[in-house]
Amino acid sequence: MSAIASPRPRASIETRNARLGVLLIAPTVLILGAVIVYPLLYAIYLSLFSIYTPTLKGNWVGLANYATLIGSRSFWGALGVTIVWTVGTLTVQILFGVAMALLLNQNILFRSLARGLVLFPYFVSTVVAVLIWRWLFNDLYGILSYLLISAGVVSMPIDWLGKMPNAMETLIFVGAWKFFPFVVIAVLARLQTIPEQLYEAATIDGAGAFGRFFDVTLPQLKDILTIVILLRTIWDFKEFDLIYLLTGGGPVNNTRTLPLIVYQQAFGLNQMGMAAAYAVAMMVAMLGFMLVYLHQARRPAV
Amino acid sequence: MIAAGRPTFVLLNVVTWALVFAISFPLIWMVVTSIRPEADLFTIPPSLIPRHVTFEYYAKLLWETPFPSYFLNSIILATSTTALVVVVGTLGAYSLVRFSYPGRETLAGLVLFTYLLPSVVLIIPLYLMMVRIGLANTLSSLVIAYTTFALPYALWLLRSFMAGIPEDLEAAALIDGASRIGAFVDVVVPQALPGIISTALFTFILAWNEYLYALVLVNSERSRPLTTGVMNMLITSFNIEWSLLMAASVMMSLPLVVIFGFLQSYLTRGFGAGGVKG
Repeated sequence: MSAIASPRPRASIETRNARLGVLLIAPTVLILGAVIVYPLLYAIYLSLFSIYTPTLKGNWVGLANYATLIGSRSFWGALGVTIVWTVGTLTVQILFGVAMALLLNQNILFRSLARGLVLFPYFVSTVVAVLIWRWLFNDLYGILSYLLISAGVVSMPIDWLGKMPNAMETLIFVGAWKFFPFVVIAVLARLQTIPEQLYEAATIDGAGAFGRFFDVTLPQLKDILTIVILLRTIWDFKEFDLIYLLTGGGPVNNTRTLPLIVYQQAFGLNQMGMAAAYAVAMMVAMLGFMLVYLHQARRPAV
Repeated sequence: MIAAGRPTFVLLNVVTWALVFAISFPLIWMVVTSIRPEADLFTIPPSLIPRHVTFEYYAKLLWETPFPSYFLNSIILATSTTALVVVVGTLGAYSLVRFSYPGRETLAGLVLFTYLLPSVVLIIPLYLMMVRIGLANTLSSLVIAYTTFALPYALWLLRSFMAGIPEDLEAAALIDGASRIGAFVDVVVPQALPGIISTALFTFILAWNEYLYALVLVNSERSRPLTTGVMNMLITSFNIEWSLLMAASVMMSLPLVVIFGFLQSYLTRGFGAGGVKG
């Protein structure tokens, strides 16, 4: 038995309370069991079958799907693409997000308006974001190519999404635009709690602006940055909407990440079992980050 | 704040506002495009301020496209998901914070774990389940599917809000003879209300913006929500009418602007404590 009821005279009340606690959590447990735990186990089970999606007829194939997957170039290729995308967009998000948070923490005019505007890309639907960027990237009348040509940076309209490495760079850039506000929100909240005295002491010790940043700000931000990097790594790794809608994995699978391949296998090629195997393999690839995050997030707050 | 000289102050403002403008430019361009006649769209050089303002694309959107139906579906979908998740999540979070029973900590860990799960892993079994129980192509199937990410998210947020409520008030109510449930309704819920409202608004945004489940589970015009519906307008059109699509984007973002107005002060103050770190 674990520590439900401590051996005190009030034990009966404690037990009754425990029963009420279980009652209150019951709907949550039932729902999560039905829509997450069962489907998750079912997905693992499905990955051992060869299933044709339209008829849902399946044959037991054991670990054959996994053997195919490990031997296939498309899995390793997609894993590589996923890593390039994640590392690329995450780096830009963190660097730009921290810089923007530092600026927005300064005493600038109309500060709350500026903060509001900066956060907006994060809350707008990915569908909307993709529509806007596709319009901005339009090859004939897109404003971006026009601005770059008139500034003399390029002489021809740029093919933003149709060829490599442009497509990956564009993807990383749009991803950074969409998701960096998350970094700003988290870092800004933390910046506001750094005691003023630390900066005063550093200034008295003769530290300049850079000195204060590296000796005071950065160490204070370490914990929140760890959390933010872990969360964003997990979220960027599993990002589907933005990539699917912006490039669809192209040109020629060059931006096809693991989530896209799962979708393609299940609903494009109609191979449910194989898709499940891809999904499980993708989860295994993410598991390390998820466990580290769980460990970090469940430590008592610093 | 270290007192800065006047030139530094000016430079800081110019740099910050230039960046803010660059970040919001796509959103400004969306609005400008939506109110510009098609003929003005393709002028060289493009201008930021439209010469003629027209609302014809909004009218067209409302009267000649299935957009209103998508919009209504999204409202029903996001509201139902939010209501379900907030009620279940409030009870669950209260239980996780105030009661002790075996498995509580494991459960809290599991909730956090499910919050990180990729949708593409769950979409395959959920699709099969929906087909089997005959819910495919309905809004209900999406409400069920959306709880997979919305419930863990709401639980985790609500848990941190509830943990911040002092236990003394509840204890006082209990001593005054209130039942546990009575204390919950009269003391805890009012105290947690700002947290519950914020959670509801965040959940609404998540459900409003969701794309993948809607893409896989609903394939009928009747139950399509905005995300897949508007994307369909792009895919099925013969020649892309950018003004129309931008008008759709603006309309689709309006509820977010309203919610954002409510949330902004909260976001720039305490989100770090509540939403990021559990």
